[in-house]
Amino acid sequence: MLLLRLRVKFMMSIGCFQRNLCAASSPLVPVRPPSPMETHLWYILPDEVKSSKLLNRYFELLSPCEKEKVFRMHGDQLQQRTLLARTLVRTTIARYQTNSHVHPRSFKFKKNIYGKPEVEWQDLEDWHLPPLHFNLSHTSSLIACGVTVNSPIGIDVEEKQRKLRNNVLRFARRYFSPYEVELLAAISDPEYQRQEFIKLWTLKEAYVKALGRGFSAAPFKTFTIRFRAAMERAIHLSGHRDSEAFDIVVDSIDDPENLTNNWQFALLELASSHYAAICVEKDGTTGGKGTLPMKLTVRRTIPYLEDECVSGTAAVVAISGMT
Amino acid sequence: MASVTGTSFSMTSFKASLAPSSKVSNLKSVSLPINGKSFAPLRLQTSRFRVCCLAKGDTLDKVCAIVKKQLALPDDTTVSADSKFSALGADSLDTVEIVMGLEEHFGISVEEETAQSIATVQDAADMIEKLIQKKN
Repeated sequence: MLLLRLRVKFMMSIGCFQRNLCAASSPLVPVRPPSPMETHLWYILPDEVKSSKLLNRYFELLSPCEKEKVFRMHGDQLQQRTLLARTLVRTTIARYQTNSHVHPRSFKFKKNIYGKPEVEWQDLEDWHLPPLHFNLSHTSSLIACGVTVNSPIGIDVEEKQRKLRNNVLRFARRYFSPYEVELLAAISDPEYQRQEFIKLWTLKEAYVKALGRGFSAAPFKTFTIRFRAAMERAIHLSGHRDSEAFDIVVDSIDDPENLTNNWQFALLELASSHYAAICVEKDGTTGGKGTLPMKLTVRRTIPYLEDECVSGTAAVVAISGMT
Repeated sequence: MASVTGTSFSMTSFKASLAPSSKVSNLKSVSLPINGKSFAPLRLQTSRFRVCCLAKGDTLDKVCAIVKKQLALPDDTTVSADSKFSALGADSLDTVEIVMGLEEHFGISVEEETAQSIATVQDAADMIEKLIQKKN
């Protein structure tokens, strides 16, 4: 099967420019904003960003507050991670204003009452699109930003190899719902159990981040995330889940009447190294039973240097909830 | 180094610049009571610039140890009372694991809502002391 690979790369031809001027002057590649039914996911791999000139350029995009925050992080690696996270969100949102140029530096951010970051849209003069929603997540080896229009979004990424310090079941009993504990306890292979735990964690994190409330305001014990057979059959806990056969749903435990079927999930393997979970609020107009798979476009980026659409490649392996 | 605007960033310039986290910012005065008499206030400073208020010295030490273990920090890393978990690189799963570690070591139970307000090592130590007192 032929995999389409779209690669947009700025090649600095020595004949036209000096190398350092090129790094300073290459623009951000504009991108059409996501449609109301779409989700965009962008990611940076910190190991791919080595150039101090590029890092300098990124640093200049940050607000004074963000710069201070970078310096407060302990050590080079954490400082670079923080820098790249702010760079990713600023440059990503700036790309979507395709008609007029909005500088990534011009965005101001605020936090909702639970601390979820949002863009201050009213301060922007040149923004002519509906407000975009975004959410960030990062590990030491990957920084990701999800973007939607008109729909709250939460994402979480975790390294596939991540080991818990605590025992998985003890942790689950303390923080997860009884259903989820039972599901994990039924897995006899410790490595498979650990993987399923990580996947469940990312889904639960993505959900509370989409809610805008975070872990503390939406304790993990108060809701269950589970895989539901798309045909409403009984679930078989087999080793393999066909991405098309299951969708991911959330049930509220202490408030069964609470409308939770307006949240849509996708779970995937990203860059061969991470699990990524995405949660978005469904468009109320779709209605009907069941859930259409999430329409997700994934791009790897080094802002100002390189963008690559990786949907349909080995960098994106759907686990559930997406095509 | 050459830069377009006033403030310049690079990995090497970080090492040269005095980032706020490297300042010793939490030296406090404490008095040492010996034989019931208080001595004049002394400045307490351990070789790792870690200051422990005597009444909570053990608690702070234990929190530091649990945090270092969870985040796999090298032994010579400076973790002080005002170190922020996020600045040490703790993500949400790390923070929850740290809280669980504290619960198990101190025999306390931390509500998720309380966990929200813990940003620093000192916050965690204060919360632990409060919960222990409530228990007793």
